[in-house]
Amino acid sequence: MDFSFSEEQEMLRTTARDFLEKECTESFVREVEDDEKGYSPELWRQIADLGWLGLIYPEEYGGADMNVMDLAVLYEEFGRAMFPGPHLSTVVLCGNTILNAGSSEQKADLLPKIVSGDSILAMALTEPESSWDGKPWDAEGVTVTATADGDDYIIDGTKLFVHDAHIADYLLCVCRTKQGGNPEDGITLFLVDARDPAISYTLLDTTAHDKQSEVVLNKVRVPKKNIVGELNGGWAPLARSMQMGAIMLCAAMLGAGQKLVEITVDYARTRVQFDMPIGINQYIQEHCCYQYADVDGIRWATYYAAWKLTRGMPCDIEVAIAKAWASDAHERACWFAHQVFAGIGYTVLDGVVPLYSRRGKTMQLYLGDTPYHKEKIVQQLEKFPAPEKPKGKPLGLWADDPELIIPDWYEAFAKGG
Amino acid sequence: MDFTFTEEQEKLRKEVHDFFANELPSDYPSATSGRRSPTQGQTDFWMELQRRAGVKGYLAPGWSKESGGLGLSDMEQGVVMEETGYWGVLWPNSLGLRVCGPPLHVFGTEEQKRRFLPPIARGEVIWYEAFTEPDAGSDEANVSLKVTKDGDDYVLNGQKHFMTAPGPADFLYTLARTEDSIPKHRGISLFLIPAHAPGISYRPLPTMGNFTVEIFFDDVRVPKDALLGELNRGFYHAMVTFEFERTNTGGAASAKRNLEELVQFCKKERRNGKPLIEDPKIRDLLADRAIDQQRNWLGGWFDSWHFSQREKLGSPPPSTPAMQSRRYSDARAKALTDSLGLYGQLRRTSKYAKFDGQPERTWRTSRSTHPAGTFEVQKIVLAGRGLGLPRVPAKFNKQIADALEERR
Repeated sequence: MDFSFSEEQEMLRTTARDFLEKECTESFVREVEDDEKGYSPELWRQIADLGWLGLIYPEEYGGADMNVMDLAVLYEEFGRAMFPGPHLSTVVLCGNTILNAGSSEQKADLLPKIVSGDSILAMALTEPESSWDGKPWDAEGVTVTATADGDDYIIDGTKLFVHDAHIADYLLCVCRTKQGGNPEDGITLFLVDARDPAISYTLLDTTAHDKQSEVVLNKVRVPKKNIVGELNGGWAPLARSMQMGAIMLCAAMLGAGQKLVEITVDYARTRVQFDMPIGINQYIQEHCCYQYADVDGIRWATYYAAWKLTRGMPCDIEVAIAKAWASDAHERACWFAHQVFAGIGYTVLDGVVPLYSRRGKTMQLYLGDTPYHKEKIVQQLEKFPAPEKPKGKPLGLWADDPELIIPDWYEAFAKGG
Repeated sequence: MDFTFTEEQEKLRKEVHDFFANELPSDYPSATSGRRSPTQGQTDFWMELQRRAGVKGYLAPGWSKESGGLGLSDMEQGVVMEETGYWGVLWPNSLGLRVCGPPLHVFGTEEQKRRFLPPIARGEVIWYEAFTEPDAGSDEANVSLKVTKDGDDYVLNGQKHFMTAPGPADFLYTLARTEDSIPKHRGISLFLIPAHAPGISYRPLPTMGNFTVEIFFDDVRVPKDALLGELNRGFYHAMVTFEFERTNTGGAASAKRNLEELVQFCKKERRNGKPLIEDPKIRDLLADRAIDQQRNWLGGWFDSWHFSQREKLGSPPPSTPAMQSRRYSDARAKALTDSLGLYGQLRRTSKYAKFDGQPERTWRTSRSTHPAGTFEVQKIVLAGRGLGLPRVPAKFNKQIADALEERR
């Protein structure tokens, strides 16, 4: 057991914090929110130069060969700075899937372009109906079909809540290619040229003002060679990337939460009402304590899941626990900030609390909210074996336990043993 | 960062696991683990098992060999604690092991260490922690158990209460006032006192959960070597103890076993023709428990790891797993009793009791939020010392009290 961060991780954290404090300020985040692109191509280029787009890829593709835990450190800082951009879509959800399941041509073609910042990718998974039915992240919810037609497939249907689709060069489109049987065994991933005229995009108006789209694929023709991974075998690699993505969202919520604790405690210390700093009131102190504890609870759940994923160990329950807790804890952390900041925490033009609060909403929901992941947890619990029973000789000491109010040994003891 | 245990640690874990699997009787209901009002028969059983575990070194593996331990690290200690907790075992002398032993190592004289530590490590004795008094609950520094010097002896007069009593005590780890100092915590000392020293008497003080006692001191005379550490530094010595108390990997392990058993119960038990586990409320409750359990497991190991690196890392950051547990324990306990309807109120003594009456017991004991300081005091400490929020300086307390009095 070792809970320390490595020197490389500490260095990455310092670099990221210094860079983002300078380049990704609160006013920058506001500007980007109002911008239709939803990210800054200049900043994207800069983080490519820093190597952050290739952090987890092997060196042969221009990457730094670091692992999921290292990436989580970077995401803590992304969360802290509210960094806007298609990093999760491009690097984690799509890029990592291509890395794990793609052909050597696909990898050689796309990964270097991701690393250099030249290509943006978006995962097109969730659909209107599945999102309403509570299974947007399950194979069962995928109804958009891809039908074979000669050397091509024809994709037809609507995807909803697709992050970063409007700026993407490619969509990683999750399609149903086989009906019936295990829903996971009929999913195929297609790389789709995002500028195909048969695709139309409509930006959605969301709490976070982030850029999610309705993507209508109207009989889009895609060549067979654009299949990522096996035909009907796309779910497993995608699910692995989504686990990584969920961990990154937890890390981002941890980073955002820590910043919220800092500004909330600072405000409580300095805001004066009734001639005293408001932080002297125990009601306010309790908000700060709970906020701190909620956020602190995200850390090891997140890194434990990340560690398991790094090692290639099964981590279904760990990821579900981390995301279930983080989404709720982050929501509460924002709520406590609102309570302490009161009116100032509600003003949208210059208040930073609403910014964290609104932008947090998307992280809480994306890749599974708390109820969704709680259900995943219980599905794992159901597989637990019955605990081992002790094997010693039965003694009958507990069978008729009278649960005495005053134990029967007490009197002799009180008399002097 | 690495969440694996070493091969030696896994080997030790297996040994301890097998020890409990073989030694605990097959009719031991571990779902009632932590019950602290044992009968004579149960106490005899636990004392015997405690001795046997002591012989193997499983009580204090982290202590030096001369103290009766195995000379292993804090991490191995954590592994043993974890297995002990998993089997729902809470040693009769858990306070001696966790609360009295560590400061004895740090502040005891060679003679005190030789005399007191090995019997603790060998599982032969029970210690009570005699800290709390009627007027010194949350305000520990307000202890008034009066100590006067008489020649080479100390003489104690006063009262303690709420001493958790899992069996008959041999010794009392006692916090007492040796000087009427200002500030109050500078006149307090620690004493190691035989439980039946002349002048000591007891009165039972049963609670909704643990059995506890009151202790009365009437001219109790102890020799000067009953003093632990420096005179008037007892409060500071006791503070050090709290850092030791934080390294607890047993609680999460116990919760793990409990959850495993609860899952089996919910799969087996049916209501309205369907297994309980298909009830959405039950599913939510189980998920909450799994989340709590894992957070406590990680938090417990973080604390143990941090403690094992204390020379390099210094004091640990404020502990939050305990705060989280406290914050939710009532709600979790209520959720379980609620989900059982009328059956939720049945104690295990009833033949109709579900899940061995554990839901009722968990609810009842969750009413106790005070050990190691009330939850409210913990929050005040976290807010002040941990987060640096302001508080009214203690020197104004008296003025405020006087002003309030005047207004009345």
